[in-house]
Amino acid sequence: MKSTFFLLPLAAIAIQGGAAYAATYLSVEQAQALMFPGASFQPDFKTLSEAQVKAIQHASGVDVRNREVKAWRVSTGGWFLVDEVVGKHEYIPFALALDDKGRVRSVEILEYREAYGGQIREPAWRAQFQGKDSGTRLQLGRNIRNISGATLSCKHITDGVQRLLVTYEIALKQNDR
Amino acid sequence: MIVERTQPWLGTYVSIRVEGLDAVEANSAITAAFEHTAIVHRLMSFHEADSDVTRLNREGTLRAVTVHPSTFAVLQWAQRFASLSHGCFDISVGAELVEWGLLPSPCGSVTSPSGSWRDIELLPKGQVLFHRPLWIDLGGIAKGYAVDKAIECLLERGAEHCVVNAGGDIRVQGNRTELIRLQVESPGTAAVVELTNGSVASSCGWQRKRCIGGKLRGPHLDGADRTTSWTDRFVCVVADHCVVADALTKVVMAQGAQSANLLRQFGATAHVFDPGGGWMHLPAREDAG
Repeated sequence: MKSTFFLLPLAAIAIQGGAAYAATYLSVEQAQALMFPGASFQPDFKTLSEAQVKAIQHASGVDVRNREVKAWRVSTGGWFLVDEVVGKHEYIPFALALDDKGRVRSVEILEYREAYGGQIREPAWRAQFQGKDSGTRLQLGRNIRNISGATLSCKHITDGVQRLLVTYEIALKQNDR
Repeated sequence: MIVERTQPWLGTYVSIRVEGLDAVEANSAITAAFEHTAIVHRLMSFHEADSDVTRLNREGTLRAVTVHPSTFAVLQWAQRFASLSHGCFDISVGAELVEWGLLPSPCGSVTSPSGSWRDIELLPKGQVLFHRPLWIDLGGIAKGYAVDKAIECLLERGAEHCVVNAGGDIRVQGNRTELIRLQVESPGTAAVVELTNGSVASSCGWQRKRCIGGKLRGPHLDGADRTTSWTDRFVCVVADHCVVADALTKVVMAQGAQSANLLRQFGATAHVFDPGGGWMHLPAREDAG
């Protein structure tokens, strides 16, 4: 193990893409291939009626912000859904795989932004730090891709999955029969 | 090729990044690593009715309860940290966290807890017995353990470089250094740790602190006297294993400079920020050995 602690002036860090460092993990097609290997996908998008929205909100306890349901029927059984939730900073798109009984198979976050990342941009910056290697410099242009601090809660996603499970019961399940 | 994915587990976002494998191998390794994370999530949740933790909290005083080898391994780590920290790290603080509204009441437990880590007996064959009613919570150690398990899985599958980040509990393994920003309100500056082949975990009290019974309470307890640790302190611990970094943040939070000896035993270092007091680094340079 080797570690060095640095204190950088905030001016030495360029924040990319506005206030956050965004990582795109998977396209919809990549998520489909990972979550249901070898299957084919039939789009079966729905628009929820006012009554369905109310029923889903009542049963899940979660607001329905978007009446469009992006759902794909899976050739090997089950459903693939794409939705998004409002996180602390941004919208977080995610994919949900349901098995043929409507149970959660897996969840993948498709894109995620975490605040306070960035890139080291000050040239030849001799960082202030307290450590043993007093000659250490941080290299220009290196990305800070990891954040350690207050743990972000994934409650938004948990709520979003709960809402989609109820959406399945109310708007998708009858199509399976 | 770099492949990175994120899934929600352990109450937070778990990101896994793999380099040095082709896309199919990388995705297969990441999927397998997430399966390990899912197992830890299911076994060690305080909330889920059929987790090992809930079964222990419900039945641990009635009979010896057989738990999964991973749960047993975490309990062994927890007891080791409890002993070495003289009870400052104590997983039996669940009762206080429930009382202060930081955890929900556990499922099906009718007895009110009264003991400490000393009342937990680890028996042969993966069995655990409580000598007094206890509510254990593994929230202060399970994430770090899960990160270690995920890293082991990725290395077994041939990853050259991999990073697992469970809500800020991070382990980096491989041939490159990673920059990790510490999310701390330190005016005008950014704190960054450059890390090779090691782990980082951080804790801060101020986000979840609340006033209960006229006293300021936070999620970090000193197990020895059951008081809330310094709620405005930020602590980052760097260690080889993430389970060590995760657990030791709680001890450093409570003990500050007094935790230097314990850090030294694990070859760990800590970076502590107290608003008004600035940064403190442990063990201090002159006694770093």
